[in-house]
Amino acid sequence: MAVSARGVSKRFHPGGPEEVRALNQVSLEVSPGEFISVEGPSGGGKTTLLNVLGLLERPTEGVLIWNGRDTASLSERERSRLRLTGVGFIFQRFFLVPTLTARENVELPQRALGRPAVERRRRAEELLAQVGLSHRLDAYPHQLSGGEEQRVAVARALANRPGLLLADEPTGELDRANTESVLDLLVGLHRSTGASVVLVTHNPTVSARAERHLSMVDGEIVADSRSP
Amino acid sequence: MRRPPLSVWRLRHWRLQAVLTALAMAVAISLPVILLSVGNGVSEHELRDLESSGYQIAISAPGLHGIIGAHDLVKELDRTDAVSTASPVLSVAVDLFHAGRGPIPVLAEGVIPQAFTATLSPEELGLFPTPLPLGDPADLAHWANGSYAGPSADRILLSSPLAAANGLSVGESLNLSASAAPEPSTSFTIAGTFGVPPALLGPTGAFAALLPLSDLQLLTGYARNPSGSLIDAADTVQVALAGSAATQTGRVNQVAGVIQGMYPYYAVSTLTETVEQAASAAAILSGFYLALSSVSLAVGLLFLALVLLRRVESMGPSIAIRRAIGVPARLLAWDQAREALWLSGVGLVGGLLLGVGAVEALATWGHGAVQEAAQLAIFDPTMLTLLGLSVLGLGLLASTAATRAALRLPVTEVLR
Repeated sequence: MAVSARGVSKRFHPGGPEEVRALNQVSLEVSPGEFISVEGPSGGGKTTLLNVLGLLERPTEGVLIWNGRDTASLSERERSRLRLTGVGFIFQRFFLVPTLTARENVELPQRALGRPAVERRRRAEELLAQVGLSHRLDAYPHQLSGGEEQRVAVARALANRPGLLLADEPTGELDRANTESVLDLLVGLHRSTGASVVLVTHNPTVSARAERHLSMVDGEIVADSRSP
Repeated sequence: MRRPPLSVWRLRHWRLQAVLTALAMAVAISLPVILLSVGNGVSEHELRDLESSGYQIAISAPGLHGIIGAHDLVKELDRTDAVSTASPVLSVAVDLFHAGRGPIPVLAEGVIPQAFTATLSPEELGLFPTPLPLGDPADLAHWANGSYAGPSADRILLSSPLAAANGLSVGESLNLSASAAPEPSTSFTIAGTFGVPPALLGPTGAFAALLPLSDLQLLTGYARNPSGSLIDAADTVQVALAGSAATQTGRVNQVAGVIQGMYPYYAVSTLTETVEQAASAAAILSGFYLALSSVSLAVGLLFLALVLLRRVESMGPSIAIRRAIGVPARLLAWDQAREALWLSGVGLVGGLLLGVGAVEALATWGHGAVQEAAQLAIFDPTMLTLLGLSVLGLGLLASTAATRAALRLPVTEVLR
């Protein structure tokens, strides 16, 4: 998945006394198969950048190109469809649906695509096996540990074989052991699936696992480097 | 084991809310079930009563003395083409005194015995002893050409509720007075009792007495006016037609026209008109029941909408994550609709059971007019189907508010 942001700005409450400029003329190329980490202080615009890249927010200015297609003219329905087929989201607080089991959570994006039940079930079991949760298929989120919940969230993000994984502080609520475990998982899946990954983190250890490192301050990318 | 659809399965996670919502819907739905079934049942019964009446034309006159010269008028009517019988009826509230007790208010009906029975429907006739044991079948002996000098049988029939409530038995004597005082009064012998028609009679109607027209006229001052002139008054004259004329609306109207021509100063109406008027009144009542039902259903709808909206608020992150993933709006809407349909459906079944159960309970254990009305209830399948469809439609309407709220959730703020 190739995503290109050119001169993208995002302002909240534009023109009002409470205007917030979350992104300021950001330009970024995400190449297919890239693993990018985004670091920076709180309020630096990292999460907003992920939301814009993942089509959850529309940029106030600038152009966002997805696989060569300008997203500005897309309707909400088309943006939803692109998110469903092209993006996997992983959040700091997991956001599993509490009334669904681990398997049903992973089946959720596939259900939305209208995949047959047998296929959904097989894919969910396969993904949960990949993240080491074959034995927790029918567990509800409240029955899982934080590390297990995040692994289910990773499996859910991969359910529709997206080309772009967007992870917002995926290890922010995990202990050290689970952080390592989830990172290993993400890196492994990145390699095996070839999906592009953009990972927001405060943790330098986590950031070190990426191939490319961005640093954001006040809505601007102030550093862009690659691992040696 | 195959599980129900997810939206329905989710209901078990908010069992108490779901149960309370379904219960509220059931209560809201039971009201229209009760109102419409009992209301329509009573209206239908009254219409059936009218249609099966033993007479086809009624002559009435407003005013103090009503129809004057009732006995002669009946003779004239009996000679009219196609008329089988004409029965004058005088209804006056009097007071009953018996064994030192009284006054007991009673609705007294003065009739010509054989004409009266000839204008009763078969159902009504079954309530009376036949022939009426009032003596003087044509009420001509006592009336004696307007002199009221003939011998009176002084007999009276009492309604069963009146006799039972006051311990009055056949063969006993009682006194009737036109005023609340025991004197002046007239003594009568109880010649029998009659049943109360299975209709919504109030206490006055149930506490009734039947006696010869001339006796009641004398008792109540409807025989002569204060100056001594003959009045011979009645309130109404019920006219039964003979043979096929009774069943042909055109013929009934024709005879009514003839009678109206004979007595232009009295109101002549056909039972068909009365039935039409009653049907119009029933339609108005049905509209009133529907309006009340709408209020009840609207309250149920608002409650359901509020619960669904509250659910959207409490399930905000779950809904936001679905939207972030890219679940189409129509699937989110369908989820809300399914929950609403499920709750409405359970409420509908509960409401129908509750409504039917309440009516059956009233019919079995209720008292008086309430029990009688409940026993007449009609559970019309068409009406219940329409009610069900309305409830499900309103449920879908309620879900649109929840869907709108779900689609307006600020996804990125909720998932922050």
